[in-house]
Amino acid sequence: MFAFSPPRPSLSPELLATLRPVSLAKSRTLPLGEPWRALVPDGGLRRGSTVVVEAPVGLGGLSLALSLLSESSTLGHWAAVVGVDDPGVVAMAELGVDLRRVLFVPRPRGAWAESAADLLDGVDLLLVRPPSRPAHGAVRRLMDRVRERGTVLIALSEPRTPWPLPADLFFSVTQAEWVVSSRLDARYLTVRVSGRGAAVQSGEHVVVVPNRRGRAEAS
Amino acid sequence: MEQLLAIWSEPLCVEQPDGSTLRDTLVLLDALSALCPFTEVVRLGLFVLPLRGPSRFFGGDDAVLRAVKQIVLDVVGTAPLLGVGEGLFCAELAARDEVIVPLGASDVFRRTQPLSVLGRKDLATTCQRLGLHTLGAFADLEPARVAERFNKHATSLHRVARGELAEMEGQRDVRLARRLAQLRGEDDLFEEQMGFFGQRGAGDDRAEAAAHRVRRRLGADAIVVANLCGGRGPEDRATLVPWGSPLSNARDLAPWPGQLSAPSPATTLAHPVPVQLRDVDDRPVVMGARGSLSAAPTGIIFSSPLRREIIWHAGPWPLAERWWLRKRHRAHVQMVLATGEALLVVAEASRWWLVGIYD
Repeated sequence: MFAFSPPRPSLSPELLATLRPVSLAKSRTLPLGEPWRALVPDGGLRRGSTVVVEAPVGLGGLSLALSLLSESSTLGHWAAVVGVDDPGVVAMAELGVDLRRVLFVPRPRGAWAESAADLLDGVDLLLVRPPSRPAHGAVRRLMDRVRERGTVLIALSEPRTPWPLPADLFFSVTQAEWVVSSRLDARYLTVRVSGRGAAVQSGEHVVVVPNRRGRAEAS
Repeated sequence: MEQLLAIWSEPLCVEQPDGSTLRDTLVLLDALSALCPFTEVVRLGLFVLPLRGPSRFFGGDDAVLRAVKQIVLDVVGTAPLLGVGEGLFCAELAARDEVIVPLGASDVFRRTQPLSVLGRKDLATTCQRLGLHTLGAFADLEPARVAERFNKHATSLHRVARGELAEMEGQRDVRLARRLAQLRGEDDLFEEQMGFFGQRGAGDDRAEAAAHRVRRRLGADAIVVANLCGGRGPEDRATLVPWGSPLSNARDLAPWPGQLSAPSPATTLAHPVPVQLRDVDDRPVVMGARGSLSAAPTGIIFSSPLRREIIWHAGPWPLAERWWLRKRHRAHVQMVLATGEALLVVAEASRWWLVGIYD
């Protein structure tokens, strides 16, 4: 606080209504860590956008989706995880997620979309794993609210029950291969990245999620 | 479900305005913690501790009960009511009746209780009109029918009656542990989410408000936060506690001797699923006393028709348990299936449990 603050000119209500907070391009995106930074436009997730992570069951989709949370969470952003029944908390810590700022709703029962909507205002990143086949209407409403609120929605889906609406950014795991020694060492995921907008360079990339230390990295 | 010893001390259940109740609670908690470090104060007047460990150490349940009774007598001056049951709900009821419910009998014990133990008059009255007088009769109602006839709170009570939830909403005073820590002057153990300059940020308040909304919608146990503590396997190190309850202060991320190294499974089952491992001749794979496998596992059976081929496995890595459980042999085994999935299983003699999925 300044010891002396000059009087502020009062603004007319009409003018106030047209103002919006100062925001720079950077703060309109939430940062991503390695290896994703190099693979997406602006090196981050645009606020208000929906990201879909699609992977056959058991082949790394959850790890990939959780790794998208880590950088922002380290920087102090809150995240919520809805519908992941038994989150691997240790794996999340290894990925670099700051667990002090993650809320979990493991079993939202029938109310996954409602719980997600409840959390939208409170967190910057919202990871949802909807039940088998999410209803079109519920998904549309959720994506609309995400856009309005400036949250980032990360939806986890499987090829046989795809997310019913087009996403702004789409990660699809096409192949997963474990490298083993006397133990599980690392998993190489082949990920197809695509999306809307010219800035997204579609392509297939091989990334390591998780590596020997449980982190995500470029191959 | 774990067998718990519940300790009910009448004089401590009503808070005196002079603060003596809280102080005595703290003294008793410390005294009981010396006996068993996992002692918890559930709410004023009610303490629980897991019975199995101390019982092995002191040479039987009765010895523990005697020691506990003596401690409470010394601290409070009045003998407590003691009871043993599986899960907090049963344990408290057992203490009320002063009984020890043998392992495995908690189901029967719970089912014979009158509906009044749920503490909801409206529910009890409605059920009585339907001819339901015990928890067992209530538990046998179809969950769908309960959901349509009663409100959300009743659904959670129904799950308690069915034994699916170990404790009732509101059974635990989530603020008490924090108040005790304040009294002890250790309030900083209950870390708050700090903003940039160490103060709570606006983002933290927003997250808190959102958590409140979910809790109102789905009930107290629906929204949880994660906590890490020491332990060997990822299933031991992670705990999910209801949001709003004090976090355990054992935030120990230092390397634990013999800890299963990274990477850890992205799914860690809170309730391990029994599985069967088979060798190439379709015989069950068992772990011997020296921690070796009878044969290399080639197949895993989740439930009778669901069988997968194992193409690689590593381990077993033995787990030394909490010191008083030394006689239990458990070991971790990692495996990769022909379908590409990787799993973490735990062996205990001839039994196998799925504890993690690297998904």
